[in-house]
Amino acid sequence: MPRLPPSLFWRARREISPLAAQLLPACRDLESAANELRWIREHVQDTKSAIPNTLRVWKLVDKRARGVPLQYVLGTQPFGDLEIKCRPGVLIPRPETEAYTLYLASILSHSQPPTHSLSILDLCTGTGCIPLLLLHSLLTNPSTRDIPIHIHGVDISPHAVALARENQAHNTAVLHHLPPPSSSGVRYTLDFTQQDIFSPAFVPNFLLQDLRPKGPALDLLVSNPPYISPRDFATATARAVRNYEPRLALVPGHQRHHLSSDGSSPENEEDEEFGQRYGCRPEDIFYTRLREVAAALRPRRVLVEVGGWEQAQRVVGLFLGGGGSGSGDDAGGNYEVEIWRDEPAAGDRGEKVEIAGREVAVRGVGKGRAVYLCNDDV
Amino acid sequence: MLRPFASSRALFRSAGTIRNDYVLPSANPGLRHSFSTSVTLQKKQLPPRPKHPPESEIEESFLKGSGPGGQKINKTNSAVQIKHLPTGIVVKSQATRSRTQNRKIARDLLALKLDELANGPQSRAAVVSEVKKKRAASRAKKSRRKYRKLAESQDDEGSIAEEAEGGEDVEGGEWEEISADSVEEVKAETEEPQFLDRAKVQSTESSITKNK
Repeated sequence: MPRLPPSLFWRARREISPLAAQLLPACRDLESAANELRWIREHVQDTKSAIPNTLRVWKLVDKRARGVPLQYVLGTQPFGDLEIKCRPGVLIPRPETEAYTLYLASILSHSQPPTHSLSILDLCTGTGCIPLLLLHSLLTNPSTRDIPIHIHGVDISPHAVALARENQAHNTAVLHHLPPPSSSGVRYTLDFTQQDIFSPAFVPNFLLQDLRPKGPALDLLVSNPPYISPRDFATATARAVRNYEPRLALVPGHQRHHLSSDGSSPENEEDEEFGQRYGCRPEDIFYTRLREVAAALRPRRVLVEVGGWEQAQRVVGLFLGGGGSGSGDDAGGNYEVEIWRDEPAAGDRGEKVEIAGREVAVRGVGKGRAVYLCNDDV
Repeated sequence: MLRPFASSRALFRSAGTIRNDYVLPSANPGLRHSFSTSVTLQKKQLPPRPKHPPESEIEESFLKGSGPGGQKINKTNSAVQIKHLPTGIVVKSQATRSRTQNRKIARDLLALKLDELANGPQSRAAVVSEVKKKRAASRAKKSRRKYRKLAESQDDEGSIAEEAEGGEDVEGGEWEEISADSVEEVKAETEEPQFLDRAKVQSTESSITKNK
């Protein structure tokens, strides 16, 4: 991180406020410091407390200046039209996720036959931001407003599941962004469950028996799984992320204990070797599991977030059957495959790449952010 | 101070009878209290909010730092910048933490600018700023009038107070040194309309605080 010149601190102090100067090391530039200070002040004014406002601003600025992410300091992050509560221990929703979720919702609305019902499964749901925003967008769109929608969110962390349920209640009962599920004319279900998707019982017991015994085909499997390698986590992540956000949500690795049945002790093995056991790089481990889930459920659409262009290509290859441990299934067989960049809705330039002998369309501008598979025949 | 609501009501009523011209007796009871010009101004229809230009004419960009994005970083900058391709007008919004909100705000701003470009003095932005200017002018005029009146009545009060206090040590009828209590006495003696009176009490308090 380059050193900030002292003149910048003087300017912040003189032109904005001494508090802005205090925020500079965390915000890195004048504009962000001014914005964040304004948001902290607005937050303090909008919430009631017995503590004097000046003191509260002071305390929050101090917390932010120590590097705590602003979303943990203020407790919320706007996500589409919703407000998502954030707490340490659960990953903060990112703007890229917001962008592709809104785009995904518009695709679902445009291609939906009016009498159909919609069922969606979100794995590694975290704050529940993706299911909540999908639901909100589908319910506000005239073409999907009146059809039954069933959404299920799954996360391994009990904190995340509790927060996701809290966010559902917050946006329904407090902010009224979502109608209550029981209100007239609205037919939707939204549930969150704590499950380890790597557990051997997850697919046969939870997905195939508990969740959808004989229900209609799954319309969408969506996931924003941990996708950062241990090496990148140590070197390529921002300090606020590394120090304050949960490693569980960022770096694959907790599922090591499922491998220890064969007698070895994978807890101690090197990360590269650990990935080898899944037949992939350590940061791609979740995608092998997501591919297995997709093969079992055969959803019409799949969307998974990825960490960049290289990873997007690897994941496309994986889903098309070019890699992975169990390549006996045909998960990628009939799917149209697309790679979405950070802003998938921005100007379609007809970009295409060839991966594993297949033509893959690339949408939007920015970094490679998501892999989208679609099979309308299912 | 004008804090108690009931008494300020009374004040308004007396003001209404003084400015008889503004009150339509019994014809329209709803208009009985519309004695200020700014209210009538607002009643006149403003031009409607201009519609957003079509998305095909807009080029949008999100300002972000370099770097990998996604889970690896956590940026709070949700600034949105849009460019209107036919005119080349660029508008930026970083008012809120919400990108969705900033996108809307930027489009609102752009629509206002395009409206101004097309309709000139009839555009909403021009009319709104005109209304605001008028309101500010009227406020300034009112306050000038008030303080002129106060200054006049101060001179009066000064002399009356001197008499009331029996020529006590009030240097040249200096208003600031008279306590609020003495003003109450003065009020009892001089039967002035109530609203003037209240204004005076208010001014005393403010001038006393000024003195401190």
